[in-house]
Amino acid sequence: MEELSCETVFSLPVVGGISESVVVTWIIMAVLVVASLLLTRNLSVENPGKVQLMLEAGIGWAQDFFEGIIGKEAKRYGPYLITVLIYLAAANTLAPLFGFKPPTKDLNVTAALAVMSMCLIEFSGIRKNGVKHWVKHFAEPVPVVAPITVLEIVIRPLSLCMRLFGNMLAGFVVLELLKFFVPLIVPIPVSFYFDIFDGLLQAYVFVFLTALFMTEEME
Amino acid sequence: METIIAIGAAIAVLTGIGAGVGIGIATGKAAEAIARQPEAESKISKNLILGCALAEATAIYGFIIGLLIIILL
Repeated sequence: MEELSCETVFSLPVVGGISESVVVTWIIMAVLVVASLLLTRNLSVENPGKVQLMLEAGIGWAQDFFEGIIGKEAKRYGPYLITVLIYLAAANTLAPLFGFKPPTKDLNVTAALAVMSMCLIEFSGIRKNGVKHWVKHFAEPVPVVAPITVLEIVIRPLSLCMRLFGNMLAGFVVLELLKFFVPLIVPIPVSFYFDIFDGLLQAYVFVFLTALFMTEEME
Repeated sequence: METIIAIGAAIAVLTGIGAGVGIGIATGKAAEAIARQPEAESKISKNLILGCALAEATAIYGFIIGLLIIILL
């Protein structure tokens, strides 16, 4: 049971306790920043190296993916969505592989991501169609459904948050139980499924659903 | 009291039935669709992943409720 809770690593004088997920997030941020600085050095149009070609393939895939969902607006919202995708992929897969607890197992992290997604979804709708249309679209197709469509603002990020949190926590709990009963060899393939496959899938699903909701809002 | 809490958590986890049946049906239909139209595989699998993620959410909610029952009560 103690594995479920998020421990406080140390406390600062003003802000209070710093929990484990925050520290792991800092580490991931540092790794990603250093990696992006190192990987984007020496880019050239004339003779691209192996690293540059791989980067271009990856970024090109992600841009095509979001352009397929959002359409033309993908240029504006793409960088944020790709950043979240990379962060979630790193948090779900790399952190467990190097012995950290995944930060997405903490409800506060996924809630923060979901609140950011909520702001982005509503902002994209307002920006595309204006405030008047945004207020009016709650009463479509009939005004009776207005309470439900207003509730949808909260329900969509709530389900995003709970899906990510529940999946990561479930994988974590199953793996801890398995490590307790059979510490030898057996956890390896299970860890492949829960950490790598499920982690990447959930990162994909999170940004995919955010983009899908944005398209819905921008109609 | 302990027994009642355990039974409550077990009932909450029964939501997994719905998710299992739903994902099973979705995957079966996707396999049929791919057999009928192999060239549309990428579109079908994209929709399949989306549908599975949405269907799975119910099981996850059950899991979270079960966990909350055990931890909070």
